[in-house]
Amino acid sequence: MQNNEEGVISICNMKGILKNILDYLDSKVDYADIRFVETDREKIEVENGILSTYSISKDRGTGIRVLVNGAWGFASSNDLRKEALFKIAAKAVNIAMASAMVKKEDIKLAPEDKHIASYITPIIKDPFKISSTEKIELLIQTTNLMLKDKVKKSEGSLDFSKTHKWFLSTEGSEIEQTIFESGGGIAAYAIGEGDFQKRSYPSSFGGDYATSGYEFIEKMRLLENAERIAGEANELLVAPLCPEGEMDIVLGGSQLALQVHESCGHPVELDRVLGKELSYAGGSFLTLNKLNHFTYGSPLVTITADATLAGGLGTFGYDDEGVPASKSFLVNKGKFTGYLTSREDAFKLGLPSNGAARAESWNRIPLVRMTNINLLPGNLELDKLIGDIKEGLYLDFNKSWSIDDKRLNFQFSTEIAREIKNGQLGKIYKNAVYHGITPEFWSSCDGISKEKYWHIWGVPNCGKGQPEQTMHVGHGTSPARFRKIKVGTSK
Amino acid sequence: MKDIFFWKNFIEKVKKNFKGLDFEMVAMENNNELTRFAQSYIHQNVAETNLNLTFKVINKDKISIVKLNSLDESELLKSIKRAIQLSKIMPELDYHYCLVKPQVYKVKGKYSEKTENFTPLERAQKIIQLIERVNQKGYEASGALETGMETIIVANSEGVFAFDRETKVDFNSVITKDNSTAYHSFINSDVNHLDIERISDELLYTALRNVDQVEIEPGIYTVILSPEAVAEILSEAGYAGFDGKLIMEGKSFVSGKQGEKLFPKSITIADDPFEKLTMPIPFDFVGYPRKRIDLIKDGVIINGVYDHLTALKYNMECTGNTLPPESASMGALSFNIVMKQGKDQLEDMILNTKKGVYINRFHYVNVLDPMNLELTGMTRDGTFLIENGKITKAIKNMRFNSSVVDLLKGVDMISRERHTKPGFVGPVVAPYLRTNNFTFSSKTNF
Repeated sequence: MQNNEEGVISICNMKGILKNILDYLDSKVDYADIRFVETDREKIEVENGILSTYSISKDRGTGIRVLVNGAWGFASSNDLRKEALFKIAAKAVNIAMASAMVKKEDIKLAPEDKHIASYITPIIKDPFKISSTEKIELLIQTTNLMLKDKVKKSEGSLDFSKTHKWFLSTEGSEIEQTIFESGGGIAAYAIGEGDFQKRSYPSSFGGDYATSGYEFIEKMRLLENAERIAGEANELLVAPLCPEGEMDIVLGGSQLALQVHESCGHPVELDRVLGKELSYAGGSFLTLNKLNHFTYGSPLVTITADATLAGGLGTFGYDDEGVPASKSFLVNKGKFTGYLTSREDAFKLGLPSNGAARAESWNRIPLVRMTNINLLPGNLELDKLIGDIKEGLYLDFNKSWSIDDKRLNFQFSTEIAREIKNGQLGKIYKNAVYHGITPEFWSSCDGISKEKYWHIWGVPNCGKGQPEQTMHVGHGTSPARFRKIKVGTSK
Repeated sequence: MKDIFFWKNFIEKVKKNFKGLDFEMVAMENNNELTRFAQSYIHQNVAETNLNLTFKVINKDKISIVKLNSLDESELLKSIKRAIQLSKIMPELDYHYCLVKPQVYKVKGKYSEKTENFTPLERAQKIIQLIERVNQKGYEASGALETGMETIIVANSEGVFAFDRETKVDFNSVITKDNSTAYHSFINSDVNHLDIERISDELLYTALRNVDQVEIEPGIYTVILSPEAVAEILSEAGYAGFDGKLIMEGKSFVSGKQGEKLFPKSITIADDPFEKLTMPIPFDFVGYPRKRIDLIKDGVIINGVYDHLTALKYNMECTGNTLPPESASMGALSFNIVMKQGKDQLEDMILNTKKGVYINRFHYVNVLDPMNLELTGMTRDGTFLIENGKITKAIKNMRFNSSVVDLLKGVDMISRERHTKPGFVGPVVAPYLRTNNFTFSSKTNF
């Protein structure tokens, strides 16, 4: 154990020390920034009415990024002692000097104003002030309610975090932010002989998340939806396999969020386009020559990046390079019009950064990441969207996903498919799979439902980079219709 | 990094703060550095020093977990106090939680002083070596070189004290020129074994043949999978098939099939920390010793791997595959997947293939149907058509939808040569495989 007398800086003195380090670095570097990040988290998991995990955690540390001789270096540590912080500053410089041995040109950053600012997620109910007993009891009741008929396994989870971070740079920016996140969901597994079927609510893979307080969980109405979800899982177990063929489909909002994520969010990341992720995540079909010259989808398709949306999981005040949150158009009326950028990558296009450089925590560098990537709503009522389909499917809630390294050839499967016949929803099918090629798919979009069906879905598990970083992003969507899509089934 | 004596002393000091309650502790201390390069220059270069401490308090089958990344005394005591308070109000488990008793560990993590002390300058020199060699042929190099050390300590109030330190070097690279690409990965504990000259030659060998790619029609093909591709398939199988929790819940293809001979006799797959080619972890995250667990033996499905919680709940034996406390709800994963070698040479596998496809690497593999272990994914960075015993053409990338069960049933040749490749937890030791049952479902134009 270490005690404070050994030099651990108290949190209230941290800002002064960080400034001292920047002063120390100023003469040695072209540019430097420091991020101190502290995250408190509470995670609850319940299975079949029994608590399986209750954990609380605190994680904090400091990351220092420097540009020396036109090349990057970054070092980070959990050690908050003053001498340890100066040591990682020196280490970052040493690493940057090694990087400079293998460079093609000096790295330059798009200009950015100095910001002295603070930001706090607006919340109504602090999730850390709600008793753990109340939260656990909600999941116990909900998961017990789902244990009906063939539902032999039910799961519920809640996850809350409060991240406090400081960003300081040699350009004079000093930004303090506090981001609250709340999320959770439930799932029912109907298990039969050689088969099981899962239904999740409100979304798959852990539920739905937002930068919000506990009010977000209350609005989910987990308990009220438990029996319906269990019922659907039971129905799926005995449902026929999804028919195969080319047909018209409507994607529900949750599945559409993942479609936007994989086929638009990732390929517009400018670092991918510039080849920086080639060995791991891959590149992008949206090459530089396509900017403003490529038809991405039908004229109905407008996709934005918007980190200012209230409640979005990709909402913040400033990104991790100190650039203010902003809204930009990635696809405008079907035309490809913009990338997600960092300061470094934006400079190459002669543009300012649109504030999409985000780091998982103190121990990772900012990379180009999604914020809230949104398909803007259309003008159709949902019954009209479905009503104009003679024979087709309504697909929702992702089960499996895969897309190639240029983000063109995708295949998704969904938890549930509903027959659409003569404009009416019909029976349930299981194991639905649909696939396509990104621009062809989006060009086949001929209807998007109205704003009242629009919701920002929180995706807390977007992976990228080496070492891997998991990012929390949002996707605003409302159900949309796509014509002549290849649909099939997993066996 | 702190040594074994620090941690023994640490446990003695913190013990009294649990006020007689049972507890478990997992500590993971790491120093990792990683240099990334793209288009033949270094674009990211990072270092991390961190320590994660997790305490689990067990209060009459009521459990709470606290996690922090600091050894600061006041933070530590506050966290333990909070965990004790929380444990009192937690609901009870539906089974009795027992702590692991002190154990004997028969294997040790692999450590290399050179790897621990490998500098950013030395990583840059390795990358320069690769870039210079591939640039001579007009190729650009991208990839990452990571070196690092991790110490794991698992202890509990019953007297378990397990300490292990290991080093890791993890390297991967893609080289590109127009549409011509190749990929190679390398994982080991000792950076002395990182032979950039050999890796560059292998990359160029693949890339120089991966040109003028043609399209082939989707369908069922005989394929030869590289160890890289086999490792990916086996990792997915470990995750979605051989997790004992999924098996007990009836959510795995293994459920109810233990003892059935589903595969050719040549198929033996185990979780084996004693395999010379792997990088073992000596114990799991509650302190059980790691041991060899056969998953498939001589074509017969044996069983999966079991974590401590699942074993207690279902009255099974824990196989030494418990994950860290925050991942406990996942069940168990195989730490060191090993596939038994065969008798064949890669050259003979190709020579004996009338029509087939050689696959160097998969991309974005995901489980489509867990009950049949059906996977989907893409090929990438070197897929080739085999005609009349020879590699004749490079192929554009294809999507596959194929069941691991069907794939393994169709295996008729396995190489003697095996390689160590990155896996989900520890590395995977995999040979080349030929199978006559692999389904390509769609194609791309690149």
